[in-house]
Amino acid sequence: MSYRYEDENTPPEPQRASEVAITTHEHVYEVDPRLMELHVLQQTFPNWDTLRIMHARHDHLEWMHHHFAHTTVTGSELIAEIEDPR
Amino acid sequence: MTTTGTSTERVSADLVARVIERLRGVLRPDQILTSKTDRYNRARVPAPFPVHRWRERVPDLAVLPESTEEVAAVVAIANELKCPVVPRDGGTGLTDGAVPLRGGIVVDVKRMNQVHELDLENRTVTVGTGINMLKLNEQLATHGLIYPDDPASYPCSLVGGRIGTSGWSLIGARYGHTRDLVLSFDFVLPTGEILHVGDGAGGKISKSSSGYQLKHLFMGHQGTLGIATKATLKLYPKPEAELSPFWAFDDYDAAYRFTGALTRAGVATFAGAVLFDEYKVAYLRRDDEAYIPQPADVRALTCAVLYGWEDEVRVGGKRLFRIAKEHGARYLGDEISEGDWAARHDRYATPLHGRTKTGQVVPMSWHCEDAAVNYTNVPAVTKAWHDIVADLRRRTDVFDDWGMFAYTSADTGVDYLTEIDVGIWEQRLDDDAWSMWVKAKRDIAAAALAHGGSISACHGSCREGEVDLVPRELGRGFDVMLGVKRMLDPNNIMNPGKYLLDFAYQGDVSAQLAELRNLP
Repeated sequence: MSYRYEDENTPPEPQRASEVAITTHEHVYEVDPRLMELHVLQQTFPNWDTLRIMHARHDHLEWMHHHFAHTTVTGSELIAEIEDPR
Repeated sequence: MTTTGTSTERVSADLVARVIERLRGVLRPDQILTSKTDRYNRARVPAPFPVHRWRERVPDLAVLPESTEEVAAVVAIANELKCPVVPRDGGTGLTDGAVPLRGGIVVDVKRMNQVHELDLENRTVTVGTGINMLKLNEQLATHGLIYPDDPASYPCSLVGGRIGTSGWSLIGARYGHTRDLVLSFDFVLPTGEILHVGDGAGGKISKSSSGYQLKHLFMGHQGTLGIATKATLKLYPKPEAELSPFWAFDDYDAAYRFTGALTRAGVATFAGAVLFDEYKVAYLRRDDEAYIPQPADVRALTCAVLYGWEDEVRVGGKRLFRIAKEHGARYLGDEISEGDWAARHDRYATPLHGRTKTGQVVPMSWHCEDAAVNYTNVPAVTKAWHDIVADLRRRTDVFDDWGMFAYTSADTGVDYLTEIDVGIWEQRLDDDAWSMWVKAKRDIAAAALAHGGSISACHGSCREGEVDLVPRELGRGFDVMLGVKRMLDPNNIMNPGKYLLDFAYQGDVSAQLAELRNLP
């Protein structure tokens, strides 16, 4: 968390990700603010909370994998084994 | 049309007072709930509905029984006083099974969430039906076991609701669905009598040819035949390994052909495949962080999931990857494959929004219409359903087409749970928009039937709109349903108003049924 209030409530400069989405923090996608002017109003959101939600989502998905199986086999491993069966 | 054969009569205040007085003789005071919040919260289900009519769906009281005997005592009183009873488990169903249409008593089974017996030798567990599968599996994992009933509401639905709806499981192609996983259960009939039902004698028997096969009759009735209170479930070893590859295609037809090839491959650890159509991918690319960065030529997707011992999963997985290569599939990568599959176990926790036709974001609720459709008819049903929702969208911004999935129901790929996700702007869902939606639901069901399908693979078909077509789908079987209902529930107290079952009490209804069967 930053020392200054303004720092903590100012996300990184947005980058365009698609015609309707932007990114702020790495891996954090948001709807283009121009599309949220009539029916959904935006609010100031602290950086630490944005990152907490993103990390919590990742933790949740990781938990779900372990809940259903002990390990996860990846597709890239299998492709490598098919292409180089040694 | 849907109101045919139903009434909206509510319970009188005098009857409510008499019911409460009698219930005090069989339950503690803390088990009888009459406050506004207790009652309104138990009228709530995830399927969008006209919120301004919430009051019509509120029960007069709720009870929290803790045993089969207490449930039986409550139902016996209700039957004697002719007061409606509605069973409620997780309240996660999408066809309003847990919604009281005539007030009365909601029987909330959440306190019956104990593990009564774990039989490690026979691989069964006997539980109260108020237990949630996720919480049950946390306990079973300590023994290396799993109860693999896996709906999209996995973290919040309960075993009893799965019985009442005869639920569908994401990994049912490997492990079977609720009907296959529940061996037997105790069941309170509408008269308050207690029945144990399973194959033959029930208990821990998985296959019997003795007598009628009654277990299926008491599953999937949406609470209209009684209340399951204690169930014995089949257990499996917790999988050592999981594999969930996602593949991309330039067009829907290629993804469709590939999905069929995967399901026909006969891989033993294959637990399911999901086909994402072009509308679904467009929706995800618009609003899902995992798909926003995907290139424009990703237009349709197929995912598969395998569970089992790691050596089996690796061998089976390689076979599927070879099929993928033959079909020109492009692997989407480990991160999206693993992340998206893990999220499929928990679709009810996703905050949602939709768009107006001008592109502005609006808060929307998710609704999903489903059907069971044979593989060869999935493309035709997909097109018909999108046309129906496109017509709604042309007329109003209340509805937004979020695309379609087709999920394998069986290990051979014979039929698919075909679903269309529709965003609904509930704040604008007035009576006119609701009428449009009900008609669309009826049209969606009719399209499934016209292509040899069933109205529902998963949710049930007792909600306004689709329910009108149930007599057509079941044919003479619907008349049998009416007879069974009349015999088991002589006073029509068990979840009245659902599935057009009021017809069971109205004498000769052949003309009304003929009219429903001839609906365009």
